Amino acid sequence: MTTSTTVLSPEMLEATEMLAGQLFHAEPIVHYNRAKARLDHDTEARELFARFVSAQADLRVRQSQNKVTQADVDHMRALQQEVQSKPIILAYAQAQQAAIAYLPEINREISQLLGIDFASLSGPGKC
Amino acid sequence: MDGPILNELELAPPEVVRQAARDFARVLAETTQFKAFVQANDRLNNDEQAQLVLEAFQAKQQSLRPMLMLNAASAEETAELERLRAAVLADPSVAAYLQAQQDLTAICHAAADLLSQNIGLDFASACSPCCC
Repeated sequence: MTTSTTVLSPEMLEATEMLAGQLFHAEPIVHYNRAKARLDHDTEARELFARFVSAQADLRVRQSQNKVTQADVDHMRALQQEVQSKPIILAYAQAQQAAIAYLPEINREISQLLGIDFASLSGPGKC
Repeated sequence: MDGPILNELELAPPEVVRQAARDFARVLAETTQFKAFVQANDRLNNDEQAQLVLEAFQAKQQSLRPMLMLNAASAEETAELERLRAAVLADPSVAAYLQAQQDLTAICHAAADLLSQNIGLDFASACSPCCC
């Protein structure tokens, strides 16, 4: 990314690329990317998962507005059951959870040496 | 789960990854941006005048918070809060700290973006508390 190469010194770029390379080969990350590739190659599962994620987001918005109907709940429940019947989606979700749980360990290694939290300086978290 | 067993040759040993993280941190700690941030932070913490200005603003902000949330603060109180905020931003130690923080954030953000691109996950989001 151009922004990274223009903002980072050669030493920082090298150290970042070295860490990125090792992280890419860390077991939880390898597992996650393989599960993602399998999901991406399964059109039906991928589209079902996309519908599920979209419906989840929509439900959250409607919940915050107090506009959830029984039909919304039934629709969500049906989608959940469909998703749970697809091992490839469950495997992806589990791999994603494991990878997300792993990254704070790396952040701790960085932050302990710096004396400040690296992740908090790295940008806002997205929900 | 299903899928081929991971080839151990493809995997980086956990300690190697942790060492790469520590090496990264050491390089980051040597950047001018990080050193400037530490210096600015120390200066701010040791600047009595700056601390008084900050405390005055934070105390006013705290006392007005409920009214501000309800959009019920008076014009005078709001003006006083803005005056105190301007005093904070005009303080040289505060200004230096904010600039140093901005510069450090820029390189941390760029580094985290590079990490995220490589691993396929948002590094900062994964490490931050999430409202989800």
